[in-house]
Amino acid sequence: MATPTRKAAIVGGNRIPFARSNTAYAQASNQDMLTATLDGLVARFGLQGESVGEVVAGAVLKHARDFNLTRESVLGSQLSPTTPAYDIQQACGTGLEAAILVANKIALGQIEAGIAGGVDTTSDAPLAVGDDLRRTLISLNNAKTVADRLKALARIRPGQLVPEIPRNAEPRTGLAMGDHAAITAKEWQIGREEQDELAVLSHQNMAAAYDRGFFDDLVTPYLGLTRDNNLRPDSSVEKLATLKPVFGTGDPDATMTAANSTPLTDGASAVLLASDEWAEAKGLPVLAHLVDAQTAAVDYVHGGEGLLMAPVYAVPVMLARNGLTLQDFDFYEIHEAFASTVLATMKAWEDPAYCKGKLGLDAPLGSIDRSKLNVNGSSLAAGHPFAATGGRIVAQLAKQLHEAGPGKRGLISICAAGGQGVVAILES
Amino acid sequence: MSDWYTNFVNSGVGTTISKQLGLPRPAVLRRYEPGEPLLPGPVVVGTAGGGRLRDTVTAVLRDAGVTVLSPVAADGSTDGEKLGAVVLDATGLSGPGDLAAAHDFLAPAIRRLRASGRVVVLADPPAQAETPAQAAARQAVDGLTRSIGKELLNGSTANAIYVPEGAEASLASPLTFFLSGRSAYVDGQGVTLAAADVPASGDPEKPLAGKVAVVTGAARGIGASIAQVVARDGAHVVAVDIPAAGDSLAKVANEIGGTALQLDITAPDAPQRLVEHLRERHGGVDIVVHNAGITRDKLLVNMDAARWNSVMAVNLQAQLDITQALLDDGDVLKPGARVVSVSSQSGIAGNRGQTNYAASKAGVIGMVRAWAPRFAERGATINAVAPGFIVTEMTAKMPFGRREIGSRINSLSQGGLPVDVAETIAWLAQPGSAGVNGQVVRVCGQSMLGA
Amino acid sequence: MATTTLDAAPNLGALYAKATVTAWGRGGALPDDRVARTGVEVDRAHLAEYARVCRLPFGDVLPATYPHMLAFPLQMVLMSDRAFPLALPGLVHVRNRIEQLAPVPVAARLDLEVWAERFATHRSGATVDLCASVSTGGAEVWRSRSTYLARGASAPAGAEAADVDVHVGALDRAVATWRVPDDAGRRYAKVSGDVNPIHLSGLTAKAFGFKRAIAHGMWVKARALGAVANRLPEAFAYDVQFKKPLFLPSTVTLSTAQVDGGWDLAVRNAKSGSDHLLGTIRPQ
Repeated sequence: MATPTRKAAIVGGNRIPFARSNTAYAQASNQDMLTATLDGLVARFGLQGESVGEVVAGAVLKHARDFNLTRESVLGSQLSPTTPAYDIQQACGTGLEAAILVANKIALGQIEAGIAGGVDTTSDAPLAVGDDLRRTLISLNNAKTVADRLKALARIRPGQLVPEIPRNAEPRTGLAMGDHAAITAKEWQIGREEQDELAVLSHQNMAAAYDRGFFDDLVTPYLGLTRDNNLRPDSSVEKLATLKPVFGTGDPDATMTAANSTPLTDGASAVLLASDEWAEAKGLPVLAHLVDAQTAAVDYVHGGEGLLMAPVYAVPVMLARNGLTLQDFDFYEIHEAFASTVLATMKAWEDPAYCKGKLGLDAPLGSIDRSKLNVNGSSLAAGHPFAATGGRIVAQLAKQLHEAGPGKRGLISICAAGGQGVVAILES
Repeated sequence: MSDWYTNFVNSGVGTTISKQLGLPRPAVLRRYEPGEPLLPGPVVVGTAGGGRLRDTVTAVLRDAGVTVLSPVAADGSTDGEKLGAVVLDATGLSGPGDLAAAHDFLAPAIRRLRASGRVVVLADPPAQAETPAQAAARQAVDGLTRSIGKELLNGSTANAIYVPEGAEASLASPLTFFLSGRSAYVDGQGVTLAAADVPASGDPEKPLAGKVAVVTGAARGIGASIAQVVARDGAHVVAVDIPAAGDSLAKVANEIGGTALQLDITAPDAPQRLVEHLRERHGGVDIVVHNAGITRDKLLVNMDAARWNSVMAVNLQAQLDITQALLDDGDVLKPGARVVSVSSQSGIAGNRGQTNYAASKAGVIGMVRAWAPRFAERGATINAVAPGFIVTEMTAKMPFGRREIGSRINSLSQGGLPVDVAETIAWLAQPGSAGVNGQVVRVCGQSMLGA
Repeated sequence: MATTTLDAAPNLGALYAKATVTAWGRGGALPDDRVARTGVEVDRAHLAEYARVCRLPFGDVLPATYPHMLAFPLQMVLMSDRAFPLALPGLVHVRNRIEQLAPVPVAARLDLEVWAERFATHRSGATVDLCASVSTGGAEVWRSRSTYLARGASAPAGAEAADVDVHVGALDRAVATWRVPDDAGRRYAKVSGDVNPIHLSGLTAKAFGFKRAIAHGMWVKARALGAVANRLPEAFAYDVQFKKPLFLPSTVTLSTAQVDGGWDLAVRNAKSGSDHLLGTIRPQ
């Protein structure tokens, strides 16, 4: 049975300012941040006591006890307690994937409105006890007799009491994401200076956007923070040039520094999506529509592809399906996991051999107008709380498109751990 | 913010101590609670002069479910319980001689007044008198009312309403306000009415039902209280404050079921953004409360330009610009709109170290008066509310001595609460307040400053 | 040829002790005795522990390196016997070839047989192969050949030359980095029963001439298998050469390349780049 579909509208968004790890939100949990973010969204759109179709969100770093993180956050928020919710996780693609899921349900008429979000904390990250201690504790818990318990306890060694700190490393390769990106940067010969320039531009664009009030209806202050505290409006290429590389440091020509890579960040974001009818009935604006989306994954383990190159594969598939070229966009939002990732992504689209050999295209996708790229700043400036980045970008781009007027089109490209990519098209 | 002294002298042991020491004993004021009767006791209505409003007053009181008694006998005896309020209709005075009747009526009646009682005197506006003697008599009412306010004890207040010929229909809303707990901290004030098309009154518990209200500076303090009261009275509140106060703003909006709009009202595009927001999201606005304000105190000789300019920009220029933008837009300001600007006692009396602030707040009064006729043309009103010493987070930070003096030098011997300002604003925002325009209502407990 | 059939797995600790005290005065030719067990059932708890330590998937089919856990104790019986010509302490595992002829279900009842063969000359001593064959229902499903080097020993006159080299193609791309902790040897010893002192601690390793404890070659081999575990043919030969000892703790890299329907593998020191293990996996 063919179901008629409709495009889901993006009504607006909210996020808390993003905070570098162990700063303003050091004491806040994922649930605290997501709840505050939902409440800010509720306040912005007058959703107190409303039951929306569903709330979909997730965190990349999540405590086991937070198995129902989103639902628990909804229960703690001003939304109606009868609002259903579920958690998802697709690494840095979580936020955008959540928006796609909500949009698809709206498109199919299964729900009229929904909230997509994401949150992450690296300050309050889950600590795991070592495998040995974990097993001992499980057997202790299962022990029926005192003697069994004592036996289990006797197996605990002091060394086991040191917790395992989660590392930002790919399980299958043991490499930090930055080290993966450094490999790709080297493969694509991405220079230090162009990375630093991209980073500086991100800071300058975002600072200017804050100054002109662009974020007034996108960000709600939290715990004393009114702007992203990673933002450095006075950033300059000269200053950045003094920094030492932090990734791929085995290579004497390493280019990736703390400034042209995103820092560990805490934060949360949420986006309100709805059918046009629902928005109109509530007197709420429609900033843009989510037109289409695509995911892709690459074999970064044995396949020789870069960990963060999956969006490069996803975009041409989506473009072909929509009869568009890479140049048919008024804005591009390429998530700045690392400056080199953005540059490598664009370079790959321009490379005829790569586009033919890897993407199976007759011609390269070509270059994009850099003045349309991340015009109000991206993750290098704001920081990157993994699951919260998608929501930040969707709301930000939707507002950009709305400001630019009807009929404008924007492309979102987000790379994710595990060699994945999530991309989408928004139209005003 | 609790008033420790008022709490103390009204506590068991505090009452004994303060009585023996002869200390002032500020009363616990009667404040409005939805569902409570308008007055805790009956009203006695008397006349001096022609008294053309007697029937109007009686009808308003009966509608409000208040028992109306005959004037009290000279010996102070009545046929009923103690009085909730005394209303003197002094319209139609022809000369000072007519005021003797006022004295004859008021003296025994006021003696019978309960705690948190109300004295309301109705008169013709002095400015419209036909003879000097008539003007003298009408003006005398002002001195009489203010002095009664100073003599009353136990949280009772006295206020005057000046009702020109033809404005009788405008009386119900102000009279009800001055009798009710909403005016708890409004004392010694006079309000002059104008003839207006007053709509039929709706649900008295939700006088603002169906209205859209903008409150600036709504994240905390008086602004938050205004948002709460306006929402309680039935309006949908668009709570506005600077982006940096967005988290408190969201809390206020969520508490009252309103919406939060983070906006720096001094930004060049702020009026336009506000107008667009109101049109897009709400199809217009009924009530605008210009509450946002800042202080940057310094003696004039030490004041830098930044202090002067920022206070002027927020407290006055933004009010002008936003109001102008609303008027210019055509239809975003709905018919029967209400604009209420927050002024200040400092703007009336001046205040040391507040040349910038006092100037801005006096400017607000000038603005309101100038715009009133233009608002009247479209069936709208614009008024100012001037708070006196209001107990807020800000005053809690004042030095103890200044704070105590500030809060005691008024007829009610206490500071007001943010809700007192909010109630006055919500009253001015009511559809029934159509005849109150271009007025400045002080919420100061009849402060000695600038009185 | 005599075949000794055991009813249960032998105690490896006792065998080590026996081999150590009887280390001196060995010599002569390889005996052609065989040791066997029949109807062996896999202990799933042990398999799970093994899979965890080696980071192999745990399921209903045995990882190709697992039958070695069953065969090795039997090989120890052979090697600790006085008749075995080489002294166990000092034997170095230099090559291991496993052939999985068919996937081995965990539930299968296994018949094991081990023997020694190919006493060969090597430029620094002599090598001997310890072989194993595993069958189920009469069909052979798995076999292995472990080549041990005894430095300074000499093979009988006329013995063939040792064959210890595994050749791999260019492996210039590291696909994974492993941080191998200092207790890696103790952990594998616990699950495998291979309590050779050179793996257990720095102190015991020093007693045998190593500067620090070294990782078990078969652990390195198993872990490398884990990296490609879901991309293997049904039947394959997994042949590795153990090169430089992997001192504990170390950071090493794994490089892989797809070759002839199988894999070339290298485990190298992350700093020096020297080879710890070179291996090939080829379909059969």
